[in-house]
Amino acid sequence: MSLIKKIITWARIKSPWILHFNTGACNACDIEIIAALTPRYDLERFGVVLKGTPRHADVLVCSGPVTKQIEDRLCRIYEQMPEPKFVVAVGACACSGGVVRGCYNVASGIDKVIPVAAYIPGCPASPKAIIDGVVKLLASLEDKEAKK
Amino acid sequence: MLGELFYIFIFPGFVFLINFAWIAEFIDRKIYARLQNRVGPPWFQPVADFIKLLSKEDIVPAASNPKMFKIAPLFALASAITAFFYIPLWKADALFSFNGDVIVVLYLLTLPTLAFFIGGWYSTSLYSRIGSVRSLMQLFAYEVPLFMGILSSALLADTWSLREIAVFYTSHPYVWMFNLLGFAIALVSLLGKLEKVPFDIPEAETEVVAGGFTEYSGRMLAFLRMTLDVEMIVGSALLALVFFPFGLNLHPVIGFLIFIIKILFIISLISLLRTVVARLRMDQMINFCWKYLVPLALLQLLFNLTMKGMFFR
Repeated sequence: MSLIKKIITWARIKSPWILHFNTGACNACDIEIIAALTPRYDLERFGVVLKGTPRHADVLVCSGPVTKQIEDRLCRIYEQMPEPKFVVAVGACACSGGVVRGCYNVASGIDKVIPVAAYIPGCPASPKAIIDGVVKLLASLEDKEAKK
Repeated sequence: MLGELFYIFIFPGFVFLINFAWIAEFIDRKIYARLQNRVGPPWFQPVADFIKLLSKEDIVPAASNPKMFKIAPLFALASAITAFFYIPLWKADALFSFNGDVIVVLYLLTLPTLAFFIGGWYSTSLYSRIGSVRSLMQLFAYEVPLFMGILSSALLADTWSLREIAVFYTSHPYVWMFNLLGFAIALVSLLGKLEKVPFDIPEAETEVVAGGFTEYSGRMLAFLRMTLDVEMIVGSALLALVFFPFGLNLHPVIGFLIFIIKILFIISLISLLRTVVARLRMDQMINFCWKYLVPLALLQLLFNLTMKGMFFR
């Protein structure tokens, strides 16, 4: 791996900007995601900043089973993000559908619609679990780049 | 010739300015975090952000005007850096100087706002258009008090050249204390120019996503963020020269240290202000600027005219 590649990988790991998107969750996971961004947990320590627009974001943090209505919007938001991009599924519903798995109006999981890089289970996933998941995602990114 | 090129590209020009801008952004974010009882970002955060944005994909929206969309960030960065060469830093001399350059510096600092407007307008997104129109509307509120605050100091020195201002205040020590009200006015107006919190109406993320920057990604966003950081340094350097013009005739090393301390003092004041106040609405901001800042600036002008008539004829 050349030096420039190394520097770029380092910068990507140190500065993940996230976009929070509710794909039909009951709001519990969203409250926990917001809690992870508050001064108590202070995600800016890892360079994580919440952004309002998909154009600025690197990591799309989704919560909730994908409802039929939000499916197109999820695809559009994902396509508006610049490469390289990652998706994190937060909560049992986002991972597999949870209690509403198999319902007529949901897709039962983010990975049925767009590729997912990290799954964080829990109902709701606690802020500590979310931080742990994001840190593991970044560590795996480093390993992947090293193997190339 | 070689010396001038060194001044423009290495020190204290391009390379030094960009590194200093990163340091300033870090200090600003760290103070902001500490005042909110957080740990805050590590020291390399602005560099990591910049490199990451450089390596990301550049998306140009299909509906936008690609030429204007791409050129606006570079135009903004270039004009902010150019303004730096007219400001005397730690000696009473700048790279370029002529009578009237204080006006040129103020207008070069206005150009980034115009470039943000053009970039936001031509990206043809609803949020960008609202944000860019807001940034122009805001310009009419803060620009007048900023000009009046800075020109009141120039009026006392009886010159419109930054070098002559530095010479005047060096030969009359302690006279700069007359301008403290003007400094407060110019500092508050500078917050509007930098789109920092009480006046961050153009990029209010709870209302208009990211304002004029909404459609920008990758390299062009990196340049836009760099412009705001450089503008913070250049604005602080201008304020430091006009309102704290001491330590300009000392040994260059001591003068350089005093210059750094002055800039960091102004940047900490900016972060303090943006922590303790909340965002205003557009009408509240325009009311505040025209009802309170402009009369105070007029008071400062009147005071300076009186002082000039009494002591500096």
